[in-house]
Amino acid sequence: MKGFLHSIETMGLVDGPGTRTVFFLQGCPLRCAYCHNPDTLKRVGGQEVTPQRILEIANRYRPYYGEEGGVTFSGGEPLLQGEFVYECLKLLKHEGYNTCVDTSGFGNPVFYSKILPLVDTLILDVKAFDRESFRNLTTIDGFDSYVNFIANLDLWGFNGQIWIRHVMVPGQTDNEESMRRLVEIIKPVSHRVDRIEILPYHTSGVQKYSQLGIPYRLEGVEPMNKDKAKEFEVVANKLFSESLHQERKANELRKQEKLKLFRDKEIASKEERTDVFANLRKLPLLSDVDETDLDEVLNGVILLNIKAGEFIFRTGDPPDFMYLIYKGQMKIFYNTIDGEEQIFYIYRDGDFVGGLNLLVATPYRYIGQALTDCKVVAIPKAIFDKFFYHSPAVLRSVLAKSFERIRWAEELIQRLATSNASMKTAALLLKLVKLIGVETEEGIRLELSMNRGELGNYSGLRRETITRKLGEFKELGFIELVGNKVIVIKDLEALEGYVL
Amino acid sequence: MRENLFNREDMAKAWQGFKAGNWSEEIDVRDFIQKNYEPYHGDESFLEGPSERTAKLWKRVDQLIQNEVRSKTISVDLERFSGIDNFPPGYIDQEEEVIVGLQTDAPLKRIMNPYGGFRMVKKALESYGLEMDPELEARFNEYRKTHNQGVFDAYTQEMRTARSAGLLTGLPDAYGRGRIIGDYRRVPLYGIDYLKEMRIKDKANHEGPAAEETIRQREEFTEQIKALDQIKSMAAKYGYNIGRPARNAREAVQWLYFAYLAAVKENNGAAMSFGRNTAFLDIYIQRDLEQGLIDEETAQELIDQLVIKLRLVRHLRTPEYDQLFAGDPTWVTESIGGVGQDGRHLVTKTAYRFLHTLNNLGTAPEPNMTVLWSDKLPRPFKEYCAYMSIKTASIQYENDDLMRPVYGDDYAIACCVSAMRVGKEMQFFGARANLAKALLYAINGGVDELYTDKNTGEYVTVISGIEPNTQEILDYDTVLGSFKKVMDKLANLYVNTMNTIHYMHDKYAYEAAQMALHDPYVHRYIAFGVAGLSIVADSLSAIKYAKVKPIRNEAGIAVDFKIEGSFPRYGNDDDRADDLAIMVCKYFIEALKRTPAYRGAEHTLSLLTITSNVVYGKKTGTTPDGRKKGEPFAPGANPMNGADQSGALASLNSVAKLPYKGVNQDGISNTFSIIPSALGKNLEERVTNLTNILDGYFNQGAFHLNVNVLDKELLLDAMENPDKYPNLTIRVSGYAVRFNQLDREHQLDVINRTFHEFV
Repeated sequence: MKGFLHSIETMGLVDGPGTRTVFFLQGCPLRCAYCHNPDTLKRVGGQEVTPQRILEIANRYRPYYGEEGGVTFSGGEPLLQGEFVYECLKLLKHEGYNTCVDTSGFGNPVFYSKILPLVDTLILDVKAFDRESFRNLTTIDGFDSYVNFIANLDLWGFNGQIWIRHVMVPGQTDNEESMRRLVEIIKPVSHRVDRIEILPYHTSGVQKYSQLGIPYRLEGVEPMNKDKAKEFEVVANKLFSESLHQERKANELRKQEKLKLFRDKEIASKEERTDVFANLRKLPLLSDVDETDLDEVLNGVILLNIKAGEFIFRTGDPPDFMYLIYKGQMKIFYNTIDGEEQIFYIYRDGDFVGGLNLLVATPYRYIGQALTDCKVVAIPKAIFDKFFYHSPAVLRSVLAKSFERIRWAEELIQRLATSNASMKTAALLLKLVKLIGVETEEGIRLELSMNRGELGNYSGLRRETITRKLGEFKELGFIELVGNKVIVIKDLEALEGYVL
Repeated sequence: MRENLFNREDMAKAWQGFKAGNWSEEIDVRDFIQKNYEPYHGDESFLEGPSERTAKLWKRVDQLIQNEVRSKTISVDLERFSGIDNFPPGYIDQEEEVIVGLQTDAPLKRIMNPYGGFRMVKKALESYGLEMDPELEARFNEYRKTHNQGVFDAYTQEMRTARSAGLLTGLPDAYGRGRIIGDYRRVPLYGIDYLKEMRIKDKANHEGPAAEETIRQREEFTEQIKALDQIKSMAAKYGYNIGRPARNAREAVQWLYFAYLAAVKENNGAAMSFGRNTAFLDIYIQRDLEQGLIDEETAQELIDQLVIKLRLVRHLRTPEYDQLFAGDPTWVTESIGGVGQDGRHLVTKTAYRFLHTLNNLGTAPEPNMTVLWSDKLPRPFKEYCAYMSIKTASIQYENDDLMRPVYGDDYAIACCVSAMRVGKEMQFFGARANLAKALLYAINGGVDELYTDKNTGEYVTVISGIEPNTQEILDYDTVLGSFKKVMDKLANLYVNTMNTIHYMHDKYAYEAAQMALHDPYVHRYIAFGVAGLSIVADSLSAIKYAKVKPIRNEAGIAVDFKIEGSFPRYGNDDDRADDLAIMVCKYFIEALKRTPAYRGAEHTLSLLTITSNVVYGKKTGTTPDGRKKGEPFAPGANPMNGADQSGALASLNSVAKLPYKGVNQDGISNTFSIIPSALGKNLEERVTNLTNILDGYFNQGAFHLNVNVLDKELLLDAMENPDKYPNLTIRVSGYAVRFNQLDREHQLDVINRTFHEFV
């Protein structure tokens, strides 16, 4: 097994967190007008290397990696050499390396579900925000496919963080509306987004075109003003924080609506309820629940009559309920971008769905629709948390259910807290505002008695990560750092967006 | 019996509150530090800004310095020659000066020191349109002989030729050798009276037949005793009795400075380094803080004011010298941090205070701040250093984990990269040999490729007995065989030349003040150097892995090389090329060791070019690696510009492979320049990344790193608008320079050197 390597940057300090060894791979299906590495476009070329060699090189630079650093695959489009990247990642992960892939989402799909679970940071290049400009920029009609790539990341087992990148060309996306669309596009993975970067278009790769004898399509376009790009980066991040806030509000609304809906469908007859309850007691799911608690559990759940064709949950529904099918059949499916229905499972009597969502507090990815008339038990999150969350029997059942995803389930359970570094840092700052915040003219002043390492421990982040996040927030104008021990909150709302 | 010169009661008073130890029985500063210092694990948040007095004083001094730089004129005391106690006391502004003492009676007024070489002084004065007192000149030349005259009386023809051809350059045969660090801490800790008493005893105890060694030793002891008297007398003129030990922090700083001041009044050595003083001073400062005698602002004031004085040290140099060394460097090197042999790190609050002077007083090239890096340094200190590097480009780093096993935990750096135990070891400085030229000699039969006889116009044979190479395509084994032969002969010539120089320096320009602050018997290093290592490694690699065809002129000298095919270059973490560099260093030091050194000194080797890489380039013909005649060398152990194909860490990894102990034990200099945006997206990321790079590099056993975090555009702008950037400092080789003091050629060299950018 060999891959085609264009070049190596041994001191990559901006391509993923920390110090990274960046492997630029050959080949890219896109033909972006501004591409500054046109010499990497050909699929075959450069030098041939084995995954073993990649590991050997990484070993030479391991001393520099610190807490966050590691190996990055860039290109070209690294996912195009799917098998090679997969073999490399397997070796690297086995040796405990932190991994990063810098992609535009146009690789070999066969390997996505193998590669993505092994990636810690995905640098996701968002080229354009609609079909036409995507085609104009890349010469490929690939916008839908790109949106699909984003939507399916979790499905392929991706469990890391995402850095969003967008190259801003003057006169094209240097406006607020574009930033709004950018935030819209990344919505399906918003819970994984760790930072959004706007890279100013530059012309330093232009001379390569004349050397290669290729015409340069952005001839005459000035480089993007760096300060302007920075301003838009702040705009994008603020919009993103706002959208997280909106999303939570929308979820709250959905929750209310759902409850209302459920009340309409709740089984009203006393006989039927008693009957169902009697049978419920026998289910293995409830075997761990103490006899004394059983009443509370049964009183807390909602019994529903669902007619064939009705929906039980939809994509994006917050993890509020876990569902137990008492009688009937339910299909779990997903609408692909082409409008096709992709069915994953058919669940029957005694099956349950949503346990994992509740465990890791992620929204529903799929749609649940009754195939026949069903009787469904909806277990609210509060009951779940109180009686099931710590129950080995439930955990076992959920894991068994999630057999298809068992490979990464372990990792998920380790990371029961879902929030990413941005959210954790924002949450920490808000906590500190409440504890020690002093209102001043410049903003809310936090006089800390902790150093960075202690702040990290407090918020469940590594020292280098919290340092990096504070640096980012400072850059975005959300906070100001005065020496090592004082933080001034400049934009409380933006921070609240991440958590509230 | 004669009575003791010193007073036990003075000592008891001065040492109150200190933990006793071997240091209280005999001179043992290291023991004093180890018994009494307190490691500081925290961060920089305790630091204070400059006091009002400091701010006022610095404003004044900064103006003086800027005027000197801008006007390109200097002031010199034309009435007197150098000497510890030859000058009346001088002040800047007595009201604001907490620490006093100047080299002469006015700030920036330089000293004429003729003992190294009279012609140097004359030339320097002439080039600034100055003239010394004619009577002084007449008398001196009538009665005194200088080091420079002594050396040239004893040089052989071969030595002179090697020097003129530029095979051996920068030899300290016409100026002070420097690279000696007095243990200046002994003066505050013990007082001059005690030190004098001990030296009198040392002299009395020195017995044995009157052979040359013994006679010289006794004479030197006497010189040292006289020097101690002069130091005391010099301080007395400022109103201080340093016969007794220092009683508080202010006195400790003042006494320490007087001791150093004596050294720079007496000598104009190329590098007059300061030692390793922060943990020592911290003990005094801590004691005063605990007793409520001073507060943090006062503690910082003491260090700020000391540093102001160190920034004022000047020597009289010729403009050519300044051009070679790019500016007016004095190498007042202070070694900061490191770890003790018991595993406790030596970072104290005063280590922070010292680095913090770069904030309080602004950036400046001196003192030459050298952080002794160890894996075990506390993380907050590492990050503070990285932060200050990013902010000021004024810090260099050297690997304590490499040096501690060799020198223990009380060594300091002289000049750029030369380690020695403070007060126990000294060095005979020896500049460097141009190995790129030596490789050309292997091809050209020992004949210099550029240097011709003034009278006959013919090429000159510098190393005799070398067969010229006549191959159409250079054969690796043949070239390497000849190269080794050249290195053998060169090594012998180099050691003999150095022996001559240092014999004469001891005789005519002895450093009595500094040696009085050493143990009576010191270990000596004799430090050789190599320039052009990367060129040699790349050239050998080209000959080995590609086809190199020499183009010879009618005299048979290879004046150009045609290279067919590709070859690995040093600087890519590729063993094929890196091993060649290692092989050459090892071979050369072994060859040097075969010729015994003067006074039984231990041979060491450095890979350090200062900024003379530009001058070396000018004097060296086209080389087989593709470098054209006249093009600059890479500085120190740096790979050649543009050699690295895969970024900076590959380059660092290559340099990290070069062996230190026993091979390049006088230091391996490496300069690393990066633009801020490539180091990380924001300051916080940059600090983390730089810290991790330093950790990664040194954990592999690398020796030294200069760090510059600067934008190329900024440097280009500074070239055009020097007034906008009066204090812009940049690290080159083993020291820092004011960018505006570099001549245009050096400025361009700095800018053209590999700056690691975003890819």
